[in-house]
Amino acid sequence: MKKITILSAFAAIAVLPPLTQANDLNINGFLSVGVSMLDNNDVTLDGFDNNGNFKNDTILGLQISKQVNDKTTVTGQLVSRGSDDYATESAWAYVNYAASENLDLRLGRIRVPFFYYSDFLEVGYAYDWVRPPSEVYSIPFSSIDGTDLNYRFSLGSWDTNAQLYYGRYSPSGAGVDLKNFTGLALSSTSRNFTLRASYHRLEIETDGTGSFGAGNTAAVAGVTALKPLLNPTNDAAIDADIDQVAVDFALTGQELGFYGLAAGYDNGDISAIAEYTQSFADTPFFTSNTTYLVKVGKRFNDLVGHLTYTATENELDSGLEGDVQKALGLENKQNSIIAGLRYDYDTSTALKFEIQNHDEEIVNGAKGESAMLYTVAIDLVF
Amino acid sequence: MKILKHSCSILLISLASSLVNAEISVIVSNNNPNTAIDQATVGKIFLGKTKSFPDGSQAVPIDQDDGAAARNTFNSTILGKSSSQLKSYWSRLIFTGKGTPPKQSGNDAAVKQLVANNPNIIGYVDSSVVDDTVKVVHKF
Repeated sequence: MKKITILSAFAAIAVLPPLTQANDLNINGFLSVGVSMLDNNDVTLDGFDNNGNFKNDTILGLQISKQVNDKTTVTGQLVSRGSDDYATESAWAYVNYAASENLDLRLGRIRVPFFYYSDFLEVGYAYDWVRPPSEVYSIPFSSIDGTDLNYRFSLGSWDTNAQLYYGRYSPSGAGVDLKNFTGLALSSTSRNFTLRASYHRLEIETDGTGSFGAGNTAAVAGVTALKPLLNPTNDAAIDADIDQVAVDFALTGQELGFYGLAAGYDNGDISAIAEYTQSFADTPFFTSNTTYLVKVGKRFNDLVGHLTYTATENELDSGLEGDVQKALGLENKQNSIIAGLRYDYDTSTALKFEIQNHDEEIVNGAKGESAMLYTVAIDLVF
Repeated sequence: MKILKHSCSILLISLASSLVNAEISVIVSNNNPNTAIDQATVGKIFLGKTKSFPDGSQAVPIDQDDGAAARNTFNSTILGKSSSQLKSYWSRLIFTGKGTPPKQSGNDAAVKQLVANNPNIIGYVDSSVVDDTVKVVHKF
């Protein structure tokens, strides 16, 4: 009898799981593959054209995380994107210190909480679209090097996460330096509701070379070249004003930023989300941009049908700066209607079909055209 | 008519018995000092929103295997989420490094044994398997 007790005690110890996940190396991954075709090559949309594109929506992500001690966790996420010829980037690479149950401090490479879906931007499985609409999700990078602080608190039924970050982003070969990158994102959930507000600002500087810097240099030259058009009488005062606009066009540390608001609802059956952003800039090189999206979804067992309207529109500055912006073709106004179906094949695989009508009402200052984009995609998490 | 009545009563009986069978107990070890934990706190522990019991000690939630009857009832009643909603919830946390879902730890018997042997573990089982090796802190 005693023998059996000891034996069962041993058995119990053998199946005893670790108290914490201290010894676990967590490995997770996600993969999205898609094929898309645009029916009009005169329209620019997410890099697609009227031949089947098998690469732009393909994203592979591998994540490892490990709790190294009671307070400290390390997380790394390597992402390889078809749109970037499968160059691999660390989207996350941080060490997290849990200062208390409610406060986390992170240092390293972090995804910036620009938008509602930014934290899991490339995990297609975590949302209904094939890709978040580029009208709103228009920032060409998603991670910076820096530090952040996440503080969680509850008020009534509302659970809130406040995230404050600071960092810098200077991608090699782009000739651009985004300094003193600072922002705050507040996200509150209560049962099926989520509310979000965020603010982001930085100082932008370029050495005038590289993929981004060369464009700024060209724009500055373009401003000076507008003199005959904007100042046909060769008025010396107007000439000086145009020279000043050219100086302001050159990126030498001007402030740039935006704020965003979002509200979401999901009861498992019906879902809705609205997101709005408004940008601001000290330099006329960037126009002030307003974007938004509204999406509704309805679940039928394993199937989700969804419909989105999204738009982006910029506002030119007043006076001479605005005249220069207009002459350089910086005016843009575009919208999309997206209708999609998501089918949950199993609990880690989703199959998606999407049709997007993209309308370029004004593109680079001129009237544009519209196009349809057809996409089939598969999203997996593992 | 009689047949209809008969099948109706059978339906009612089976419905009633399935309701009785479906009672779920949230359990902890007898060595765990907490005596009762409300639904909201149980939910927070299982969604990774808190890592502690009400008395401050560390809480490690464990799930039953995918598809287990108790798990479906627990998810819909305590967490108020469907399995696809939960999958999406956890994929959002996993890929930000903010959390990992409770470990899948087998059926009623396996969960009961794990709970009995570790004061930090909290699980849920069909009430019919509860015995004096574990302590019930919530029932629904």
